[in-house]
Amino acid sequence: MNALPNPLAQRAVRQDGALAAPVSGGDQLARRLARRYRDRITGAFVLPRREGDYAPLPADMPAPLMEALRARGVDRLYAHQAQAWQATAAGEHVVVATPTASGKSLCYTLPVISAAIQQQAKALFLFPTKALAQDQVAELLELNQAGSLGVKAFTFDGDTPGDARQAIRLHGDIVVSNPDMLHQAILPHHTKWAQFFENLRFVVIDEVHTYRGVFGSHVANVLRRLQRVCAFYGVSPQFILCSATIGNPAQHASALIEQPVTAITESGAPVGEKHVLLWNPPVVNPDLGLRASARSQSNRIARTAIRAGLKTLVFAQSRLMVEVLTKYLKDVFDSDPRKPARIRAYRGGYLPTERRAAEREMRAGQVDGIVSTSALELGVDIGALDVVVLNGYPGSVAATWQRFGRAGRRQQASLGVLVASSDPLDQYFVRHPEFFQGASPEHARIAPDQPLILLDHIRCAAFELPFHDGERFGPQDATPWLQVLAEEGVLHQEGARFEWIADSYPANAVSLRSVADGNFVVVDRTQGRQTIVAEVDFSAAALTLYEGAIHMIQSVPYQVERLDWTGRKAFVTHTNVDYYTDAIDYTRLKVLEAFDHSPAGAGSAHHGEVHVARRVAGYKKIRYYTHENIGYGPVNLPDLELHTTAVWWQLPQRALEQAFDHRQQALDGFLAAAHALHIVATVAVMAEARDLQKAVGSGDGAWFATPDLNGRAQIRSSLGELDASAHGPFIPTLYLYDAFPGGVGLSAPLFERREDLVRLARELVQRCDCRAGCPACVGPVLAADEQNDTPLKVLATRVLDLVVAL
Amino acid sequence: MSALADKLRGLRRQAGVTPTPPRRAEPLPGGLSQLLAVRQRKPVSMARSAVPQVLPGHTIAPGLQLSETSGIWPPAPAAFDASFARVGEVVAPERLLLFDTETTGLAGGTGTRAFMIGVADWHHGQFRERQLLITTLAAEAAMLDCFASWLRPDTVLVSYNGKSYDAPLLKTRFRLHQRACPLHGLAHIDLLHPVRRRWRGVWENCRLATVERQLLHVVREDDLPGSEAPAAWLGFLRGGSAAPLHRVARHNSQDLRSLGGILGHFTRESAA
Repeated sequence: MNALPNPLAQRAVRQDGALAAPVSGGDQLARRLARRYRDRITGAFVLPRREGDYAPLPADMPAPLMEALRARGVDRLYAHQAQAWQATAAGEHVVVATPTASGKSLCYTLPVISAAIQQQAKALFLFPTKALAQDQVAELLELNQAGSLGVKAFTFDGDTPGDARQAIRLHGDIVVSNPDMLHQAILPHHTKWAQFFENLRFVVIDEVHTYRGVFGSHVANVLRRLQRVCAFYGVSPQFILCSATIGNPAQHASALIEQPVTAITESGAPVGEKHVLLWNPPVVNPDLGLRASARSQSNRIARTAIRAGLKTLVFAQSRLMVEVLTKYLKDVFDSDPRKPARIRAYRGGYLPTERRAAEREMRAGQVDGIVSTSALELGVDIGALDVVVLNGYPGSVAATWQRFGRAGRRQQASLGVLVASSDPLDQYFVRHPEFFQGASPEHARIAPDQPLILLDHIRCAAFELPFHDGERFGPQDATPWLQVLAEEGVLHQEGARFEWIADSYPANAVSLRSVADGNFVVVDRTQGRQTIVAEVDFSAAALTLYEGAIHMIQSVPYQVERLDWTGRKAFVTHTNVDYYTDAIDYTRLKVLEAFDHSPAGAGSAHHGEVHVARRVAGYKKIRYYTHENIGYGPVNLPDLELHTTAVWWQLPQRALEQAFDHRQQALDGFLAAAHALHIVATVAVMAEARDLQKAVGSGDGAWFATPDLNGRAQIRSSLGELDASAHGPFIPTLYLYDAFPGGVGLSAPLFERREDLVRLARELVQRCDCRAGCPACVGPVLAADEQNDTPLKVLATRVLDLVVAL
Repeated sequence: MSALADKLRGLRRQAGVTPTPPRRAEPLPGGLSQLLAVRQRKPVSMARSAVPQVLPGHTIAPGLQLSETSGIWPPAPAAFDASFARVGEVVAPERLLLFDTETTGLAGGTGTRAFMIGVADWHHGQFRERQLLITTLAAEAAMLDCFASWLRPDTVLVSYNGKSYDAPLLKTRFRLHQRACPLHGLAHIDLLHPVRRRWRGVWENCRLATVERQLLHVVREDDLPGSEAPAAWLGFLRGGSAAPLHRVARHNSQDLRSLGGILGHFTRESAA
């Protein structure tokens, strides 16, 4: 819609000059922005327009389905949809990893509906969110209606009323649910679903790239339980999985279902030209390396785009930021309350009806600008858009592409802009356009045999069906685990069978999002509230929930007022301080067993089991932007210990003596290199930064090094005392370890990709714009230190050069 | 204790799971302390010989006990119109089969089982009770088959809360043993509902114990609370005494007789 000239808009036209003139598409806007803001753009590239690759509707498709498709205007398929049809017809398990908006859902709806029509076959769909599930059902119903196919699809989730459940179990051809419901409601009551299971032919799992790490490891076990229950009913359903573009879709899908999977990765969907800009806010204080906020930049880009007549979507990282950006844009575009709003916010926390209304308006093209959280990222249909602006890096390349995929029309070029925040990961990505151009650097990883997770699911599985001696659960012989459960008294062994005997419902005690159940809850006490606002893993609690800590929840700062360690509760209030807190923690690692090792340059790389002892001794208050240290606080919490897996690098004393003037220098280099390696490793395994930790010490656990107040290494021989002179041989070791008891499988893939990691870490340090070091490369450096002859960046590079493969 | 168990215990401690407190640290409620005491014993082989293991009833299949008794109370009702229980037909007393199960708990789902099925009917003018009790898990299938053999296509089931509890639970057990559920399609008078319609808000609650006291003036003697039945059976299964099983059987038997008494009350009312 074209509003009448609005005085505010006109003033902005004058400000932005020629930029605001209407443009015909994202390409023109991209060129203008690139000309005007050359120094802010760190990467600009174009994905060319591509014609569709089509295939006729398969001849073996049931006629009513074909008619339904034609009635909906589909008279041919994209090549990848036809490929999926053939592969499923051949009985193969399939993973479809094609870009957003390439028509992935037809890849599974066609085989599922045709089996429902022809053989009364049933299907189970698993989606990570309720909103996605509802959209999917709406789509199925439309297709069903178009052809009067008589296929019944229902959502089954926590909101499904009790009296509807029975009907869904008996009459649903397609049941759309989520992994948590499968885990807690369906499998433990499988006998009620007997008819459904007896006819279950397809299991569809969408967004499998989100099932990684702890959550993915749990989901893989839920799928083991599902397949075990299916075997009881005499069926072995076919799996159709969908993923965003990641580096290892087939390997990941196959790890989830533990069966060979055919991967379909080439999309046949036509795409319009797509421009991508990587945008780093300008440096506003060169001395401190301070940049303008991402928010100011996103606001500017969105304003320019909307004014140029392009439908624009801005993704923000938090609900609060959605409201802030919406307000800024509304101030410009919605100043006249008599006119329909041109700008809308979309986020979780709105009522479903409000969200549906927003979606309808967007589809109808009545809205010019949308500001959203990730709530819009997955699947929700809002029609075509021209420009997507990401206010901050969304945490993975896969998610970046999913969000960019929101923009795109067939006939017109679209534009995606990634605006980096000051976060180290943002700064890393904005300087590496190649991550968005070549093969994805991200690999989704799971560790389904993580001991605590495995025990939890064998417990749940035993509740569902008795185990017999020697039965396998995944690749594991379950017997020793069953014996542990029998010792606990929840199972009873009789002859060759282990049967559930306890009066409890184990699935209720197992959360798919944590390892074991020692989690802390975070209770908001702001203004008399007493509500739970977050949950924190036990292993992260000491580092993030000490009294005085500033704890960020969805980018909103809370201060911890009281920590009830034994009650596993942290009481917080909302705060507006200008600093964040950083735990001063002493971590000592000791290698217990090396599984594997290899030479790495002048040194060696290893993978194995370690013992970690950790004490949080206090915390620093650090001012935002300037990273000034403005104070300290004490912390008095029990020491933590952890048996986990790690990857580590070591250099022999001789190599160090040649490269460094003295030990202090070498240790400074190790700590700095650890910072850089940690950043690149987090990306490589798609981990949260806190799930993977770094440390520097000696291999035998005799001493460890921590940065002092100036970022320089200090040696300690035990948790607590300072010990300037380490005794014994000097073999500094750089560790990256899994922050969960028993590990969640992050370190093995890191060992596999060790050479890549060192190379990437070197590039990270070398390409960083800072002079001596900054949080985005080797860690914060004090201003006084910038004049040092051998800055941390140089020392880090020396260490990395020594361990790089020759 | 196995090495795996030790390892898992260590990892759980590191994950912040509070270890279970040492047993017997403080006095526990009766049933629980009994259960824990039994758990501390070594499983299998021991204890059985030391304790006289006289089980209720006689063995009809490996691990399956059947006790059968007859009495004159409660008396058989005349043929009655069952519409008070929303079963729209006139029911002859010989079609009635009263049932009540004792289970391993209330958690629900596939992990809860019945270890005792008590059934009663009016047979040759007397109130006949038959109780099936399993003493091994493997005997469950035989118990289910025996129970199924007592049902006829025209059987009218009578229970207290059986529609939502006992019947679905048995249905799950039949399903897990890959057997058709014999309860399917049978008429079922669940007395909880007419009782509720009648006395909700009049008595403090509508539990069976309350109803039998108020309506039938039954006083139970040395009754084992229903909630302690799981522990009694589990204790026996793990090598403990069989004595508590007799108390469970008496409790179940009283439930059946009260069921008959309450049914009689409604049938007389509907005849009047």
